[in-house]
Amino acid sequence: MRRNFLKGSLGPKENDSRYLLDVKRRDLPGEDTMHRYDDDDEVDLCVVGAGAGGSVLAQRLARKGWRVVILEAGPFWHPDEDWVSDEAGSHELYWTQNRIIAGDDPIELGKNNSGRGVGGSMVHYAGYCPRFHPSDFETKTRDGVGADWPIDYRDLLSHYERVERELPVAGQNWPWGHPHTYPFSPHPISEAAAVLWRGALQCGITMRVGPVGIVNGTFGNRAHCIYRGWCLQGCKVNAKASPYVTHLPDALAHDVEIRANSMASRIEIDEASGRATGVVYMGEGSNTEHLQRAKVIAVAGYSIETPRLLLNSISRRFPHGLANNDDQVGRYVMVQGAAQSAGRFPNELRMYKAPPPQVSSEDYYETDPSRGFARGFSIQTVSPQPIGWAEHVAAEGHWGREMREYMRDYNHWTTIGVLNELLPSADNRVTLSHEKDQYGLPVAKFTHSLSRNDKDNIAFSKKVILDILDASGAQDVLTISRYAHLIGGARMGTSPSNSVVDRHHRVWSVPNLYVADGSVAPTQGSANPALTIMALSSRLAEHVGGVNAA
Amino acid sequence: MGASDEGDAVAPRDLTRPDHLPNLRPDGRAPDPSWLPRQRRGTTPQMIGRYPDYDVLASMPEWDPATAKVVQDRMDVSVEMTFFHFEEHATVRRFCDIVMAQDSEPRVPVAELIDRKLFTGRLDGFQYDDMPNDRDTWHMVVAGLDDVARARHAMSFAECPIADAQRIVASFAKSQLSGFTWNELNVARAWSVCLRGILSAFYSHPWAWNEIGFGGPAYPEGYMRLGPLSILEPRETPGATSMDPVRQVMDSSQ
Repeated sequence: MRRNFLKGSLGPKENDSRYLLDVKRRDLPGEDTMHRYDDDDEVDLCVVGAGAGGSVLAQRLARKGWRVVILEAGPFWHPDEDWVSDEAGSHELYWTQNRIIAGDDPIELGKNNSGRGVGGSMVHYAGYCPRFHPSDFETKTRDGVGADWPIDYRDLLSHYERVERELPVAGQNWPWGHPHTYPFSPHPISEAAAVLWRGALQCGITMRVGPVGIVNGTFGNRAHCIYRGWCLQGCKVNAKASPYVTHLPDALAHDVEIRANSMASRIEIDEASGRATGVVYMGEGSNTEHLQRAKVIAVAGYSIETPRLLLNSISRRFPHGLANNDDQVGRYVMVQGAAQSAGRFPNELRMYKAPPPQVSSEDYYETDPSRGFARGFSIQTVSPQPIGWAEHVAAEGHWGREMREYMRDYNHWTTIGVLNELLPSADNRVTLSHEKDQYGLPVAKFTHSLSRNDKDNIAFSKKVILDILDASGAQDVLTISRYAHLIGGARMGTSPSNSVVDRHHRVWSVPNLYVADGSVAPTQGSANPALTIMALSSRLAEHVGGVNAA
Repeated sequence: MGASDEGDAVAPRDLTRPDHLPNLRPDGRAPDPSWLPRQRRGTTPQMIGRYPDYDVLASMPEWDPATAKVVQDRMDVSVEMTFFHFEEHATVRRFCDIVMAQDSEPRVPVAELIDRKLFTGRLDGFQYDDMPNDRDTWHMVVAGLDDVARARHAMSFAECPIADAQRIVASFAKSQLSGFTWNELNVARAWSVCLRGILSAFYSHPWAWNEIGFGGPAYPEGYMRLGPLSILEPRETPGATSMDPVRQVMDSSQ
């Protein structure tokens, strides 16, 4: 109740990022005066990856006086010049270095789910910020599938609340999972989303506005959203949350160095003690190796690059890759099923207006035995722009004149999608390929196949969104089968035989090495992962800061 | 083109109804585009579209300079191709035109945009384990189209009658090509590599945005009219109505 009353006026504590931003320029304030550490200077913490996980960890520990270096493979963005309101022009935001995909149901990577550069994938995520449900942490116990986490929802609760204030998250009061409110009021929604909401109401499905990490009101120097709809191409307004605006300004103000264009190639291990001593990386524009020494190392490269870095770190102690003596690294990588259906309406809707994430439902999130499969899915409105919409039309086999006809009808369409919880499988994994990247490092190979439960979940959810479109009065529908998000690959567990890290994200058998990204998650729920990745890192910082005081 | 298409060409359409959508038509085909109004303002591919009085480029001065530059560079793409070899040019151009049904000028330079993307190595960030990389895939597809045309029609893909070339592309879309380089490719995935590149090139071009009435880059001005009261910004125009624009102009001039 009290949180409702104070809506829009609650700022986060111990994070001044919103005030540090410049109202007139989008550059990350403090880049020019950024502290620089020498490679030989043994810093307190070296983080690999300046995305959702790595940035939160660095910001938190810098606040405690730690000397921190973040190595980031991609560029240091200057959004006014580098980011464009253009689909094809946003190519550099994505991890487009080669990766091999395989399995019965290979997952397309790149623009769909992989980020590169300071700020990571959240620079181009849509903005949905739902929490996981309490059940997500114990699917094995409750539903007999997936895995139990070594932590539970209560361990993350205070960090969810803290990160929601930092982003800040706007949305209606949330009735699902652990019911909660949001620090900012819901955004107005477009007619394109309202049409879908009416259909859902007809079907008896509850939908709510949000939750999105998009400013709706006054929040320091962050601007209010201008509803231009280019969230997936990098927010040039500074309204949408990403570490670039929510944590890195504060991190820089506390002497964190972000070393961009620095590709980590392996983690060095002291063979005698078994401790990690530093990170070897390739500097900008050269294939010369550098070694950044550090007391503590945190890998935050996400579900493909984190396993790849560990597997590429060969030593006498770890001949099959770092922390991989039990063959657990790179296993249990998950994606979510993300089928979308578009419906055609008599009047123009122009779905490209307003942020793609608007209204969502978690009515089908939990297991319902009557559906015939375990776990569930969420429903979210989305709104592809022309190239995305063309891929949607192509998915039904159209090209040529038929493609042009559907595309000319673009303004009459609106789109709704699902996120299925696909279950973890040991064989869905990242391994090293024979192909090499521009640094001569073996690239990742991601093998992925669906289980029976996954297929049943996807099929059921597709019918639900078609029912919504039908109830909305759609005159024609087009469906695309696809996947979204990444999680897992270095999961947390109770022993080295079932996991890569312990309940505090510490790599089994390497006392000063942590994994600080979404790859630690043993299950994924049907929630978009960004908020949970940040909350996990926030909790990790609390622990690491306690046991390894700088 | 059957008799029904002739009828389509003269009958104005009520666009609140979906009768023009391929999935709802008995033959699954789109009507002949001759029913569409000629573009009066701005450029569209083949000068047809649903927004005859809309030109997204009129807003270009309002766009942020970085976005305007990216779009302008795209429109200035060189006609000289560098990735595709000289003997491949005619094949790749015809293939792209057929896939996007570009049968007359003005054309979005799809092949040239793909050439630039492949030449600069801007690939999509994944490669199927049973496929060569996208650059090699394109070369093999171009060679394969030519081989099929020579085998079926004793002429190159670029020189054979258009209907024959269209049939070859239709076979490619249905993964029904074999022999030659096709045996070294997963044909369905090769089609998806090509189609993804072609769609991305075509719908990145502002002429295509005019054709479909897309509002385009909206920074720094943003969008205000989200509906339901109004869905149109002052710079946007409504789609073609059930009125035949030619008749409309003739009526108003009388």
